[in-house]
Amino acid sequence: MAATGRTAPAVLVCGETRTCLLPSFQALDGRAAAQLLRLRADEQVSVSERPNLYALSPELLTGVDCRLPTANGAKVRAVGTVASRAALTEGRVLQASAWFSVPSAGPDTRRPWGHYLVRPGLVEPFGKLPEQATAQGVLRGSSRGELDLGMIAEGLLAQLLRHPLLDHKAPFKSRRTHLRWVARRAPAGEGASLERFTLAEDGLRTVELSLPEETPATAAVGLCEDLALHDWLLTTLVHMLDNSRLGAVDGPSAVLALRPAVDHLLHLWMPQAHVERTLGRLWDVLEREPGFTRQWQTLVQRIRDQLAVQAIPLLHEALSTR
Amino acid sequence: MTEAVFQETTAQPRTQSVPLSHLSLELGHLYMEDFEAGPERLREHFAEVRIWVDAARAAAARRTGGRRPRISTCFLIDDYFTRFSTPAELVPVVLAEAERAGLVIDYLARESGCAVADKIEPAESVMHRLVESPPPGSYGSRPPVSETGWLPNGQRTPTSRSAMGEVTGWQPPQETAARNHSVFMDVELWSEKDGQRLWSCPFLAAVWQLARLGLLRHLGAPVLAPRPWNGGDFPHDWDLLPPLLQLNASAAPFSAYRTCTLMPNRFLAVEDAVRLILDQVDVDSGALRQVAERSAREGAAVPAAVAQRATYVFYEEPTDAVLHGET
Repeated sequence: MAATGRTAPAVLVCGETRTCLLPSFQALDGRAAAQLLRLRADEQVSVSERPNLYALSPELLTGVDCRLPTANGAKVRAVGTVASRAALTEGRVLQASAWFSVPSAGPDTRRPWGHYLVRPGLVEPFGKLPEQATAQGVLRGSSRGELDLGMIAEGLLAQLLRHPLLDHKAPFKSRRTHLRWVARRAPAGEGASLERFTLAEDGLRTVELSLPEETPATAAVGLCEDLALHDWLLTTLVHMLDNSRLGAVDGPSAVLALRPAVDHLLHLWMPQAHVERTLGRLWDVLEREPGFTRQWQTLVQRIRDQLAVQAIPLLHEALSTR
Repeated sequence: MTEAVFQETTAQPRTQSVPLSHLSLELGHLYMEDFEAGPERLREHFAEVRIWVDAARAAAARRTGGRRPRISTCFLIDDYFTRFSTPAELVPVVLAEAERAGLVIDYLARESGCAVADKIEPAESVMHRLVESPPPGSYGSRPPVSETGWLPNGQRTPTSRSAMGEVTGWQPPQETAARNHSVFMDVELWSEKDGQRLWSCPFLAAVWQLARLGLLRHLGAPVLAPRPWNGGDFPHDWDLLPPLLQLNASAAPFSAYRTCTLMPNRFLAVEDAVRLILDQVDVDSGALRQVAERSAREGAAVPAAVAQRATYVFYEEPTDAVLHGET
């Protein structure tokens, strides 16, 4: 990790990613995406056109000096910077992430601010870090006064949603999801692994990773954004099918309800498109169980079948009125 | 690891590097009142500065371990807060007085270049890079600096009314990095008048320091690149003068690992404010890395904190009595 000097290497990386539909009638093209994500006037937005359109903002920093969230109530003060960034996929799905790395121990006094600024995304604990309790605390969510990743990610999202490029005419209704994640350092010699993916209520998902020491924090962020994006797609498509009340309502209105999926969502499924190669295979475990792509394909097939079925009477009608 | 076969240039932003000296030495900063005091004031200024220039050169040489250090000199003229005279009238006087003291000005800069240079707005960019030092208890709420235009070194005195509307007693402000007692400072970064933003002197001076330290970039490209002087006359309008002009063709690079600024002691508060600002700027990471790597390779590793790379000599200002005694 980028941190240099007398700071111990990070043993834990914690983050939160919020994912939502871009509230814009039209999907943004590459140029507009770069405009939206230009969080700093002097820094480039990275725009990728292969294998899909993907724009990534520069990283921002937020200074913090507060307690870390801990599951056992241990009070650990920490100082440093939390990094955040935004990503836009196919000009349609907007994500904001906030994350920080923590070393196993830090000094008992606060250092000059310049020390922290040159270690972007690193938060140093006062004394020893209760690693397990902090990881669990982050996944559970912060109490008042504790380091709040969700608040930082939400703040960035809110800032982006105020951008004049957006007309706030979303083509369909959808819910936001938030994915909290922690990455512990893997024992020496062991590779990266995805230990747990939990689907909780109210759009909350949690992910636990184990990563080798040399894996950069941003690689973990990229993986979790990819997981969050595809989980959001599944969640959104399932909702859409539920709401279309297939079979219960008459044909044309079911078609109308499913149309946005065809227009805006079906082409977005592309796991690992922008995940670092070393972490891409972490997807495999989710493909085996529960089978993310399997579920997606089933849903897509169902929508296509439905549209085909609805088309038959129309075709029939057209032929008979000749 | 093997390199990827497929690459996209827009997906991998690059940071261009700039040539770097060991030391950027600022020989002065000219305001209207200095100019109005006549060439004697300038003469007195350069005579005083000359002594400290020699000291700064010696200090730089000690750092490079006896090898001849690359040192460039610069001079800043304020054309931002007040417009006075013209380059054609003023610059030759400045150069003549410097030469009389045995000094060479390598680079001449206009202060307004820190606000707008070649259609780029360095001050605006630096403003977006401010990351406030969080007072204890900051857990991720948005930093308000971009709204207030003030940057403190700690926690301000709370407003004197509680939530219930009752007046409470005065509470002191608190410096975040205080040792036992606070030296609290709150710096105004800009003011607004008729929708126009006027950057403050310390803020522009912080931008100026970052330029001299080779840490400013715009979309990866260097900002305030020096333009050579063709040796001809200077223009009659400040706007026609390049923001940064290279007067000496054989000068060492403008930007440097470290800066040393020589100025009258009335600027002490301004420069303290500059340090407060520099301490809270999240500098372009690519530029920061380039400077750190190259300085380390040359055996002149820079301090990690940017504000620590800037040093100053504050000298006693010549008084009118001194000036009159001489003439």
